[in-house]
Amino acid sequence: MPVINWELLMPELVIALTLLIVLVFDLFDSISKKVLGWMTIVGAAIALWVSIQMHQAGTTGVQFNGMFKVDNFSLFFNIIFLVSTILVALISISYLGSESRKQGPYYLLILLATLGMMLMAAGNELIIVFLGLELMSLSLYVLAGYFRESPASSEAGMKYLLLGAFASAFFLYGIALIYGGAGTTSVPAIAEAIASPSKSPLLLGGMFLLIVGFGFKVAIVPFHQWAPDVYEGAPTTIAAFISAGPKAAGFAAFLRIFMEALPNLQVEWSGVLIVLAMLTMTVGNVIAIAQTNIKRMLAYSSIAHAGYVLIGLAAANDGGISSAMLYLLVYCVMNIGAFGAVILAKTADGESVMISDYAGLGLRKPLLAMFMTLMLLSLAGFPPTAGFVGKFYIFKAAVQSGHIWLVTIGAINTAISAFYYLRVVVTMYMREPEEELEFSPYASTLVIGLIVAAIGVLLIGILPSLMLGPAQNSVF
Amino acid sequence: MLLSTVIFLPLLGVIAIALLRGLGAAAIKGIALVIGLVTFVISLGLYTGFDATTAAFQHVVIQEGWIPDSGISYRIGIDGISLWLVLLTTFLTPVCILAAWNSIEKGLSGFMMSLLALETGMLGVFCSLDLFLFFVFWESMLIPMYFLIGIWGGERRIYATVKFVLYTMAGSALMLVGILALYFQNDNSFDLTKLSGPFRHSDLLFLGFFIAFAIKVPLFPFHTWLPDAHVEAPTVGSVILAGVLLKMGTYGIIRFCLPLFPDAAAKFTPLIVTLAVIGIIYGALVAMVQPDLKKLVAYSSVSHLGFVVLGLFSRNPAGIQGSVLQMVNHGLSTGALFLLVGMIYERRHSRMIVDFGGLSKQMPIFATIFMVVTLSSIGLPGLNGFVGEYMILLGSFVEGAFSKVYVVFATAGVILAAVYMLWMFQRVMFGTLDKTNAELPDLNAREIVVMLPILLFIVWIGVYPKPFLSKMEKSVGVVVTQVRAQSAAGYIEKRGLPDSQLALQGTEREQHEKSEKEAQTK
Repeated sequence: MPVINWELLMPELVIALTLLIVLVFDLFDSISKKVLGWMTIVGAAIALWVSIQMHQAGTTGVQFNGMFKVDNFSLFFNIIFLVSTILVALISISYLGSESRKQGPYYLLILLATLGMMLMAAGNELIIVFLGLELMSLSLYVLAGYFRESPASSEAGMKYLLLGAFASAFFLYGIALIYGGAGTTSVPAIAEAIASPSKSPLLLGGMFLLIVGFGFKVAIVPFHQWAPDVYEGAPTTIAAFISAGPKAAGFAAFLRIFMEALPNLQVEWSGVLIVLAMLTMTVGNVIAIAQTNIKRMLAYSSIAHAGYVLIGLAAANDGGISSAMLYLLVYCVMNIGAFGAVILAKTADGESVMISDYAGLGLRKPLLAMFMTLMLLSLAGFPPTAGFVGKFYIFKAAVQSGHIWLVTIGAINTAISAFYYLRVVVTMYMREPEEELEFSPYASTLVIGLIVAAIGVLLIGILPSLMLGPAQNSVF
Repeated sequence: MLLSTVIFLPLLGVIAIALLRGLGAAAIKGIALVIGLVTFVISLGLYTGFDATTAAFQHVVIQEGWIPDSGISYRIGIDGISLWLVLLTTFLTPVCILAAWNSIEKGLSGFMMSLLALETGMLGVFCSLDLFLFFVFWESMLIPMYFLIGIWGGERRIYATVKFVLYTMAGSALMLVGILALYFQNDNSFDLTKLSGPFRHSDLLFLGFFIAFAIKVPLFPFHTWLPDAHVEAPTVGSVILAGVLLKMGTYGIIRFCLPLFPDAAAKFTPLIVTLAVIGIIYGALVAMVQPDLKKLVAYSSVSHLGFVVLGLFSRNPAGIQGSVLQMVNHGLSTGALFLLVGMIYERRHSRMIVDFGGLSKQMPIFATIFMVVTLSSIGLPGLNGFVGEYMILLGSFVEGAFSKVYVVFATAGVILAAVYMLWMFQRVMFGTLDKTNAELPDLNAREIVVMLPILLFIVWIGVYPKPFLSKMEKSVGVVVTQVRAQSAAGYIEKRGLPDSQLALQGTEREQHEKSEKEAQTK
């Protein structure tokens, strides 16, 4: 009977417990369903606090025959996931409104997806990573199609399911090939097996299939086509959720497997990642320019941001890993913030999804417009926001590895992206609205979520050491 | 501390206005003006406390450990070059606030906040001694300017403001790569004062920085954003744009391109000087045919900044001093021209030269001031423009780093300036007064107060430029030594001479001081 060190599993246990509590309380009709949202927030906050404590203490250890590895790397990603979950829950409470029937499963699925992400980050074994990936993905498929009565939402769910299942198959096939080549699925054991000079074609094939699988999950060009349709059709809160935590989780497993299990194949994969990074940034940014729907624009922008993170991976040094982690944290906060602003800009006519709907917002809703501007400037990478700091460190790491041209392309992409982010700002401040629509009143939880995001973006932007230090301590 | 106060006081004003904007328009304008004036008065302390006998950075504030593990610190300080640009900025901002007193109809608080935030950004650029900090200020200054043009500008303001931001960002993207590449050759530090070459890939690094600055200057052929931005910007935006923002480009060339990459600077001089001379003549010719007053002044900027770049790349003391002085001069006279064009536009709601004529009868004070500023812009002896242009041409001709043919063509630009400015003045001020203009009131007291301090400096620099030149002499001397001495060092390294010989040469600043001492003993 193996000894289980429960302390190592605390964050996951807290989330699992919260999940059960939400499940049980959903049975009672007498309880206001908003309480479920607050339970999710409290549970995630406790798990966040535990993760931070463990991270500061530098807790490390493996569990379940080395399949599950707790270290600062996984704990830092836990922080990213939990911050995202809390922010998404905050913007969801008012978004779901009073339709009580819908709320229980919604929060349940969010918590399940979060648990899946945490498994992915801590997975020290390809099978565990795959289990985490599926737990997360299955929950997200349901969430994307959560508004059954809306054809767009159903379509998004269906598309996401089909393409996601396809990607999972690639991923699984990759695992199988690597198992064939290395004779094991455990991360450290694979690294040992590959240490011998002969590189079997099985391993290389497996590696490429893993890139394809991850490429789908984190929306890297050319595996990105699902993202705009899903973001556009899914409930806005879920679009925010999909764009944040799951992307970070995909990168967490990506980093762990490629840097820890396949470091000896670096010559092979870093070239591929450089090409993919260039493609992803450029295609994402250029197509985003043509968008008129803000959710689609944010979808292409999130594709481009995956490209920036890939620069950190391609740099393949400690600086690259820590800057990619910092960037993912920053990206989650600002992207959820931007989606939150989209939800807040709701009018009597429904959600403001077209960019032209934002005309005149600067004068009519100065605070909301200011908030949206802050998030967009951060996404565009202007100082003194967190987005600038994140890009700066990624570029710095890549220059250190000698990828000057990759960084040059990344920097030029930043300039391209400024065009479409600023176009929303132009619309808000410099254009007159075609018709004066009543804006819905602000919901307090949504406002809290946005203020938290705004403070985070500015704080990391002005004092990057706050998060950079922890990120640097978290490199495996 | 003094310097930090000057940089961040305007930002405090932004916060104050944000909190107190409920008090109404008068209070907002009052706060902005007071903050602008106080900043200017405090910045005078930078001048009085400035030691002209040394080339070292002064008023230095170093706050280690802002981002300690990345070699990033808060380091600011000024030398004899940045001192003048700082003073120009703190001087023009209150002038602009006063000039915009009645012309802003919507979003007054936002306007004043943008203006003050812009001031902090610009001052930060001129004072940063840390590459990271420099870049942060360089980029963050874009946002308030973007709003100034985009919200309070003319009809095609959105096109103009987006073009402005994208051009600048494209340039600064390359500069960011350059900064990062320098970092790893500078012992993992962003400290500007520790940077000393020769650097690897210095040609590419030079170009990375230079293109960013050339876009900002703007040097032909990167200038196309400028006429659009100037024409669409509100008056005050044009003043700040011409007065200070363009100087960030030329300042960057002095601070980075020349001293850090002397070999590359020498190599690219023929190309850059050719572009500068093309800019001088092209700008002047295009200005000549403009029917719009504001566009005319905008193109004259292209021409004038060509002179500044020409002087910088002469790489000798007279030329660079002339360029620095000319930056200030251009800020004053072109700023004043934009203010005057703005005043006439507020009265007549037209900037077309054909709509005017004979204004000198109706508006004598306006005409007089306009005359002085026009002559200053042309470079009439006795006014500021002459001193700067003369020094630039002298420096480039006498011991210039390039062929004298360039200087001959550049001098033609001076004549062309007289042609387009005086012709414009004649068409606007003389001739018959049109009926529609017969009711135009002359300048009021506030407008005269706006113009007088500028006129004071225009005459002062023209008659007695010594206090201005003496403060910058040492700092310019260091730049010249660096750009010359390091060429030699780079040469030695290329020839593969041992490192000990390089080490003997010491740092450029020491070397410069040594040569100064030698000169004194002789």
